[in-house]
Amino acid sequence: MGLRRVLDDIEPHFKKGGKYESFYALYEAVDTIFYSPSKVTVAEPHVRDGIDLKRVMITVWLAAFFPMFYGMYNLGFQANSAIAAMGLEGSGDWHQAIIALFAGHDPASLWDNMVYGAAFYVPIYAVVFIVGGFWEVLFAIRRGHEINEGFFVTSILFTLIVPPDIPLWQAALGISFGIVVGKEVFGGTGKNFLNPALTGRAFLYFAYAPNMSGDTVWTAVDGFSGATALSQIASDGLPALAASNGLELTWMNAFLGQMQGSIGETSTVAILLGAALLLITRIAAWRIMLGVFLGMCAMSTLFNLIGSDTNPAFATPWYWHFVLGGFAFGMVYMATDPVSASMTNTGKWIFGALIGVMTVLIRVVNPAYPEGIMLAILFANLFAPLIDYFVVKANVARRRARGVL
Amino acid sequence: MASPKKVLLTPLVENNPIALQILGVCSALAVTTQLSVTLVMCVALTSVTAFSNFFISIIRHHMPSSIRIIVQMTIIASLVITVDQLLQAFAYEVSKSLSVFVGLIITNCIVMGRAEAFAMKNPPGISFIDGIGNGLGYSLVLITVATIRELFGSGSILGFQILPLIENGGWYQGNGLMLLSPSAFFIIGFFIWLLRSRRTEQVESNEYKLAPHTTAEEAF
Amino acid sequence: MSSKESINKTLFVAFCLCVACSIIVSGTAVVLKPRQDENRILDRNKNVLSAAGLYDPAVDDDSNVAALFAQFTPRIVDLQAGEFLSSEEVSDLGIDIATYDQRTVLNDPAYSNAVPADEDIADIKRRVQYPMLYLQEIDGVVETIVLPINGYGLWGIMYGFLALEGDGNTVKGISYYELRETPGLGAEVRNPSWMAQWPGKQIYDASGEVALTVVKGTGSGQYEIDGLSGATLTTRGVDNMIEYWLGDNGYGPILDQFRSAAGN
Repeated sequence: MGLRRVLDDIEPHFKKGGKYESFYALYEAVDTIFYSPSKVTVAEPHVRDGIDLKRVMITVWLAAFFPMFYGMYNLGFQANSAIAAMGLEGSGDWHQAIIALFAGHDPASLWDNMVYGAAFYVPIYAVVFIVGGFWEVLFAIRRGHEINEGFFVTSILFTLIVPPDIPLWQAALGISFGIVVGKEVFGGTGKNFLNPALTGRAFLYFAYAPNMSGDTVWTAVDGFSGATALSQIASDGLPALAASNGLELTWMNAFLGQMQGSIGETSTVAILLGAALLLITRIAAWRIMLGVFLGMCAMSTLFNLIGSDTNPAFATPWYWHFVLGGFAFGMVYMATDPVSASMTNTGKWIFGALIGVMTVLIRVVNPAYPEGIMLAILFANLFAPLIDYFVVKANVARRRARGVL
Repeated sequence: MASPKKVLLTPLVENNPIALQILGVCSALAVTTQLSVTLVMCVALTSVTAFSNFFISIIRHHMPSSIRIIVQMTIIASLVITVDQLLQAFAYEVSKSLSVFVGLIITNCIVMGRAEAFAMKNPPGISFIDGIGNGLGYSLVLITVATIRELFGSGSILGFQILPLIENGGWYQGNGLMLLSPSAFFIIGFFIWLLRSRRTEQVESNEYKLAPHTTAEEAF
Repeated sequence: MSSKESINKTLFVAFCLCVACSIIVSGTAVVLKPRQDENRILDRNKNVLSAAGLYDPAVDDDSNVAALFAQFTPRIVDLQAGEFLSSEEVSDLGIDIATYDQRTVLNDPAYSNAVPADEDIADIKRRVQYPMLYLQEIDGVVETIVLPINGYGLWGIMYGFLALEGDGNTVKGISYYELRETPGLGAEVRNPSWMAQWPGKQIYDASGEVALTVVKGTGSGQYEIDGLSGATLTTRGVDNMIEYWLGDNGYGPILDQFRSAAGN
């Protein structure tokens, strides 16, 4: 146990009165990556389990790898297809030189697509990680709390929900806002009431709308323009759906993720694989996921039945809502954030259903926002404490009526 | 009796109407996209607060308590209408951008609050100064918010381009959030954060106490 | 209880206060009214001139505006009949051209009417029956026609002026003076570089139909205007507004007179 001894040897320097007292948070972070913390609860009730927040967060982080790798491939595939169709040389910006070192632009080649995707994805992730990590460490040191691995999750999720074309400085600004305003001002992980990754994205969405919405940002090729499936539905309805490469967008393509969109949001299959991992390890709440899904189904079916002559989006069936836009991603990774969601079991159903209903409502009825899941989740985050409050109240009333209390 | 200087300066930082009492936030959101408009709003609010304090204080001994609030409202409303008329006559462009928000000074809690809390108990002179002081406290926050919003939203201050926008061939991309009202919430929030981290006596006490094992100190 | 709480005292204070306040308020209103009206008209004139491309806020001051606007004659038209009204007809309607504000009479049934839903492509619900146009005449020849237009964008109705050349077919400029579109997206209809596309575009095709459209993406040719990127609904709103106001239910019949006079 050489490592343990090294860590123990240097520990006194980080304790109160030591040389590096103010960097205790960093020491603690390194220590608990390798070893389970020795702290235990002393008062009952408590549960004995090998899992702690760090392990929870790392599992979520791993689960996000499915959409991440598919996202990189798809980013490259969409871009290379567009490059082939437009007869271009490359992406048309600084990425082009990097990609040229390793690969060509053949949309049929897995290697070419992955390299292209990585050339866009890795810089964004690196920037988000470094900038977000900076804030996390800064607050941990200033406030004397531990560096929280929730940040690993926030950074990867944030990277997966931005458009591939996003300028790096905007990514940095977005994650800063998400971490600082979405989390740290309220006291850090566990005390935030909003999902930090979504807060960051919402900031960018309203601050730099031309870079976060519209037709030109979803495929990482300069000058390429193509509407996302949701905005096509919003303006012309389902029959008009076309994939970015000029082909018709079938449901299966959308399900597999062969369409343009935010980096990690396109493939429902990859997201469901991640969902399976989260559910098997019992990290994410299945009630929330199912609640979101059922809420979406109910609301979209309701709109199908009502029908509308002027708004073609009314006719979109639930199975399309499910595979388009960020719905699946939001349902699996964002709505289930244990901090900002409801805590009670009944509350989780209500919380999930609220998200599902609001998502469809915003997508279909609001003329300005073809995508609604981000705003729906943030909206439901605000209500989560209230939902829990009423669930607990109702529970107390029920038990009192039974004469148990 | 507090000294006039104290009455004038206390509302700036120590007892700021927006940052500490969280009053008058509505107009702080609505009129802060352009600094020039904000300045006019600040002048309007400060003068209304000062004069309403002044007049209410003059007649405070003659005011029957049963119609006290109505009398105050009438005086405030008359002053606000007068100010609105003046703006429409002499600063038409600004009054167009301010639209209903000049009229809404009537319902601004700062004006009413100072009339009820200060002018009813103090002589006219010092009440007038108190009105100016609170108006300045309000102005301090609004001007800060407006400067940030105009600079980062439109790249200019008082209409002079500081950061050349991409649309006009420059390099700065305007932050659209700053042009929307909610951004003022964030900026006021940051302002309060900054203020209270310097002056910890303004931090509100907790409404509840966390159980053991959960505070950061105990975790160490 | 002190004497100031008595009913008589209460009534007396209330009365004095009301008198004093009403004198102050009505006094200011009456004294300042002429100045305010002047401001309102000056503002409207600036909007008309900027649609016609004659006003630059950086160069022109208020006295220039008066001189420039002197070239324009306000004229009232009857949309239903599709013709200009003579000054007698105008005074019969009780309209005083100097102070007429078509925005304030919008809800007055004597001057406005509801737009039937099937005609209402600009989604305005009500329109003024007698709008005021502005004609710039030089040596008896109409140089510019400025038309008030409005229509629903994304968040609310946008108000503006469209200026045409004397042939009733060529656009001279457009300007919006009131809108609630999203800053940075829809509100870019006020961006000078977008507005600069309009001059020179043609409205009607050979068959006399409105051909001018605002397209999604980049437009080409003499009938197309670029859409605003990221603002689909504002773009559509502007397009609908053009189609409605220049069409047969809008100013179409009036512009016909200019077009036939110009020989096409």
